[in-house]
Amino acid sequence: MDLLTKFRFVIACLFAEYAVTFIPVANCSIYPSEMSGDSASKLPSAAAIPVAQASTLGSFYSLSLQSTFPEDLEVDEYCVELLRVYRQRYVTFANCLVTYARPVKICQNCYTGFNSLDDIYKNISSDQLGPGNVTCHDSLMRSDRMMLLFTLYNNLQDIWTSAKCSKCLTEHQEALMNDTVYFMATLNQSLSCFEQYQNHTELCKDCKASYKRLNELYGRMEKNQTLCIDLEDAMNMTQQLWSKTYYCLLPREETVPVIAVSSFMLFLPVIFYLSSFLHSEQKKRKLIHPKRAKSSSSLMNIQDKFS
Amino acid sequence: MANITKKVSWSSRGDDRGERTPLLNGAEEAKYNKQDIVRSRPKEIPHNEKLLSLKYESLDYDNSENQLFLEEERRMSHMSFRCLEITRWVICGLIGIFTGLIACMIDIAVENLAGVKYFAVKENIEKFTELGGLSISLILWAVLNSAFVMVGAITVACFEPIAAGSGIPQIKCYLNGVKIPRVVRLKTLAIKVFGVICSVAGGLAVGKEGPMIHSGAVVAAGVSQGRSTSLKKDFKIFEYFRRDTEKRDFVSAGAAAGVSAAFGAPVGGVLFSLEEGASFWNQMLTWRIFFASMISTFTLNFFLSIYHGKPGQLSSPGLINFGRFDGDSVQYNLYEIPLFIIMGALGGMLGALFNVINYWLTIFRIRYVHRPCLQVMEAMLVAAVTATVSFAMIYFSNDCQPLGQDSTEEYPLQLFCADGEYNSMATAFFNTPERSVRSLFHNPPGTYNPITLGLFTLAYFFLAVWTYGLTVSAGVFIPSLLIGAAWGRLFGILLSYIASSQSIWADPGKYALIGAAAQLGGIVRMTLSLTVILVEATGNVTYGFPIMLVLMTAKIVGDYFIEGLYDIHIKLQSVPFLHWEAPPTSHWLTAREVMSSPVTCFNRVEKVGRIVDVLSNTSTIHNGFPVVVDTTDNDDEPGKICGLILRSQLIVLLKHKVFVERASSRLSQRRLQLKDFRDAYPRFPPIQSIHVSQDERECMMDLTEFMNPTPYTVPQETSLPRVFKLFRALGLRHLVVVDNENRVVGLVTRKDLARYHVGKDGLEELHLAQT
Repeated sequence: MDLLTKFRFVIACLFAEYAVTFIPVANCSIYPSEMSGDSASKLPSAAAIPVAQASTLGSFYSLSLQSTFPEDLEVDEYCVELLRVYRQRYVTFANCLVTYARPVKICQNCYTGFNSLDDIYKNISSDQLGPGNVTCHDSLMRSDRMMLLFTLYNNLQDIWTSAKCSKCLTEHQEALMNDTVYFMATLNQSLSCFEQYQNHTELCKDCKASYKRLNELYGRMEKNQTLCIDLEDAMNMTQQLWSKTYYCLLPREETVPVIAVSSFMLFLPVIFYLSSFLHSEQKKRKLIHPKRAKSSSSLMNIQDKFS
Repeated sequence: MANITKKVSWSSRGDDRGERTPLLNGAEEAKYNKQDIVRSRPKEIPHNEKLLSLKYESLDYDNSENQLFLEEERRMSHMSFRCLEITRWVICGLIGIFTGLIACMIDIAVENLAGVKYFAVKENIEKFTELGGLSISLILWAVLNSAFVMVGAITVACFEPIAAGSGIPQIKCYLNGVKIPRVVRLKTLAIKVFGVICSVAGGLAVGKEGPMIHSGAVVAAGVSQGRSTSLKKDFKIFEYFRRDTEKRDFVSAGAAAGVSAAFGAPVGGVLFSLEEGASFWNQMLTWRIFFASMISTFTLNFFLSIYHGKPGQLSSPGLINFGRFDGDSVQYNLYEIPLFIIMGALGGMLGALFNVINYWLTIFRIRYVHRPCLQVMEAMLVAAVTATVSFAMIYFSNDCQPLGQDSTEEYPLQLFCADGEYNSMATAFFNTPERSVRSLFHNPPGTYNPITLGLFTLAYFFLAVWTYGLTVSAGVFIPSLLIGAAWGRLFGILLSYIASSQSIWADPGKYALIGAAAQLGGIVRMTLSLTVILVEATGNVTYGFPIMLVLMTAKIVGDYFIEGLYDIHIKLQSVPFLHWEAPPTSHWLTAREVMSSPVTCFNRVEKVGRIVDVLSNTSTIHNGFPVVVDTTDNDDEPGKICGLILRSQLIVLLKHKVFVERASSRLSQRRLQLKDFRDAYPRFPPIQSIHVSQDERECMMDLTEFMNPTPYTVPQETSLPRVFKLFRALGLRHLVVVDNENRVVGLVTRKDLARYHVGKDGLEELHLAQT
C-alpha cells in the first residue's frame, strides 16, 4: 500500500482525464507487459503505457463522448489507484488459471494470485475511508448496472470455490497441505511405475500395488473431504491411464457360476408353483342361494327374459 | 313379465335356483321334501371373480332417528354442537399429525435398513469383484432380501392378512360403505407399517406410498373414536363420534392425509377421498379433509427436516420426492402433445397387460397359495428372484457411465467398469425404487443407454406384476412409476435419435415423467386425483395439461381391455362394491326381483326367545329386521311396517335385558341411552356370548323406543337404478320393499344390488358364496 500512495500523484495527473473512459482500452494494451508483472513494483511503467496509447486514441473518443465530468462525479484518485491494482492482480490470476487449466493444477499454482486478488477486492469493497475521505466501494462497484468489478471477481471466486481449492490448502490458503503433497508423491510413484513397462499385462500386475495404494489414499481423502480439483483431475487421468490406456480391467471370469446360481434361483419359483398347483388343495367356495321372492329371476334367465 | 320368466326358467333350465332358495329361510322348509334338501346342499366351485362374499357387511351410514336419538338431541345445547364442530377440527388435526409421523417413521426406517443392506452388499461385491466369487455376493443379496421379506410376510400372513397389499382397494371399499373386517384396527396398522418397512427394505419391486393411505385411514378411525379396542384402552373422549356415519368422514380424512403424506400432495389427497367416497361429502367436510391433509404433509416435512439436520426447512413434502422439474427441461411444445397421447395409449396397453397377468396370478394365488406358510415362501422366493434378476442384469451389463460430481447415485457399483465409472444398470436396480425413479427423471441425458433401459423395463415389469398381490404390505404406485419412467425415458432417447437437431427433444427426463404417468394411469386408472397428485409431486403446474391428457388416454385405452388393478382386486375379493351407477340396461329389473324375500320381521313387542333364536340362527345372518305392527292372524300374511331395527341394537338390548317385564324395576335403574349403544360400537358382542335364561326367553321386548321409526321404503315396482341411486346416495344398508298396503314384502341389501353387473353378454348376476 505504501508504494501505491507514493505513486498516487503521478497516476492522478496522468489519469485525471481519461481514467473512466479509457481504462478498458488501456487494459488490453498492457496485457503483454503484465504477463510477468507481479503487483505494484511495476506500477510506473505499466501506468505510462496507457497514457501514450490513450492520447493517440483520444481524438476518436472525444467526438463521441465528453471525457470530463464535473468535479464531484469524478472517481477519486485513490480509487483509481485501487482499480489499477485490481486490474493487475486480476489479470495475473486469470492468466494463471488459464495457464494451468489442462491438466488442472490451479490450486497448486494460483493460490498466491487468488489471495492477492482477494485482498484488493476486499480493500475496495470495504467501507473504510481512504485518504480523500472517500469510499471506493460506491464509486467503483456500484455506480453502474454492470458492476463489472463485482461480477468479474465473483466469477473467479466461483471458479475457485467450485474447484474446492481451499481443501488442499492450509487454513489461510498460504501453502499446500501435507496431505496434498503426500498424495502427489504417491501419484508420481504410480506414474513412474507405469513408465517402466511397455508390456501392458506386466504393468497391470506389477504396478497394481502402488496403484491400489493410490486408490486407497484417494478414497480416504475423499471421505475426509480433502480433495480439490487438482487431485481429482490427476486421479482421473491416472484412472483413465490404468483402465483405458493400459486396459487393466478386472476380468469377467465368473460367468458360469453366476449363471448357475441365477438359473437355480429362477428355477425355484417354477418348482414352487408347480408343487402348490399339484399338491395344495384348491380352495373352493360354497355357493349360497339367496332367498328370493317366488318370481325371482336367477341369473340364467335374465338373458331369456331379454329375448 | 315375472310369469314368463318363471316359465322360461322352468322349461329351459332343469336346475332351477329359485326353487331351492326358500330352504335357507327355514320358514317354508317344511313344505319341501327330503330330496330337495339333499339337492340343495351348497355347491362348491373354485374361486373366481363372479362371487360375492358373505363375510362383508355394509356400514350403517343411515342415522337411526329413534327416540333415544331425539332425546339426546333435545338435551344438547347449542353450545355443545359448537364444541362438536371444534372437536371435529381437532380430530382432523390429530389425524394429520399422526399420519405424518407414521410416514416419517416409515421413511427413516426404510432409508436406514436399505442403507445397511445396500452397503453390506456393495462392500461384498467390491471385495469379490477383485478376488472372484461374485456368486457369493449374489447369494448374500438374495438371502438378505429374503430375510427381510420373510419377516414382513410372516407378520402379515400369520397375524393380519388384511394388511397385505397396498390397502387402497380395502379403503376404497370402506369409503364405498362396505365393512371389511379388521381393516381399520390398530393391529392392522402396526403390522402394515412393519410389513412395509420389511418389504421395501427387502428390495421387492414395491413402494411405501399405497400403504400410507391405509395407515392414514386406520389412524383416522382410531383417533376419532378416542379409544382402542385392541389395547382395551378408552380415553373417554370423542364419544359422540362412535358410529359409522361419523367414522366414515374421518376415515376419508385419514385416507387423504395418507395420500398427502405419501406424495406431498394435499390437494391430491382431498381429491382422492372425494373420488373414492364422493357420494357422501359436503363443503365443510372437504375443508376439514383438506386441513388434515395439509397438517399431515407439514408434519412429515417438519420431522424429516429435523432428521436431515435442517430443522425448519420445509422443502421435502412427501415420502416420494420427484425432485424439481425446472429450467429448460420443463418446456414442452404443441407438437409434442400427439407424442404424449401416443405415450398415454402405450401406457394404457402396458397397464392392461399388467392387470391381465396380475389377474390370473391372483386367481391362482387365491386358489392354490392360500396357506400362510406357502404365502411366506412365495414372498421369499419373489424376493430372492428379484435379487437374482437384478444381479444378473447388473453383472452382464456393459453400460458404464462416468461418476458425476454431484453423485446422485447413492450406491454406485463399479463392477467391471473402468475406474471412476459406475455400472449404469446398477443405478436402476441397486437402489430403492424411489431413488431409481428420481434418477430416471433427473439424470442428465446420456446417463442411461437405450439397451439398459429396455432390459430394465422388461425385467422390472414382470417383477412388479409378480410382486403385487403377495402377502406383504406394499404398494404398486412406485413400481408403476418406475416402469413408466424407464420406458418413457427410452422413448425420449429414441426420439432424440430420430430428430437430433431439435434440442427440446433432447431432455429424456420429461418423457420419463410422462411415461411414468401413463403407466401408473394404465394400471390404477385413477383420473382426477392422480393428475393432481402427479402435478403436486413434481411441483410443476406446467405439466398439468400433458399429464391429464396422458392419464385420460391411458384410461380409455386400458378400460377397453380390462378394469383397473384395484377394481380387479376388489372383485377378486368378492366384495359387494357399488359403483357410481347401476349397470346400464337394468331398468326393467324391479325391486321385486332384486329383493330378498320373505323377510324375517319382528313385532313391535316381540318375545325375547324368538329374537334370540333368530339372531343365533347361523344359516341366515341378518343384520336388519323390519319391525311390523303386531299381527294377530296367521304368519303367512306379512305385517305392516313400522320401523327397522339392527342386530347390533338388539344385542345391546338383550345385554342390558330391556324387557317389558322388568319395566317396573327399570324405573329405579338408569334408562338405556344412546351412549350404551356407542360403547359397544364397533365390536358388538356375538349373540352366543349373551346369556338368556329360560325364564327370560318368555319375556317380551318393546322395540318401539329403539327402532328407526322411519326407514326408507320403496314400492315393489321401483326399478333397479332407482333403488341403486337411493343406496349409493344415502349410504343405505337396508331398504324395505313394501306393497301398496305398506306390508313388508322384501328387503334389499347391498349384496342384492352388487350382484348385477355387465358381463361379456349383457347383464350377469354374481353368486353369493361363503369365503
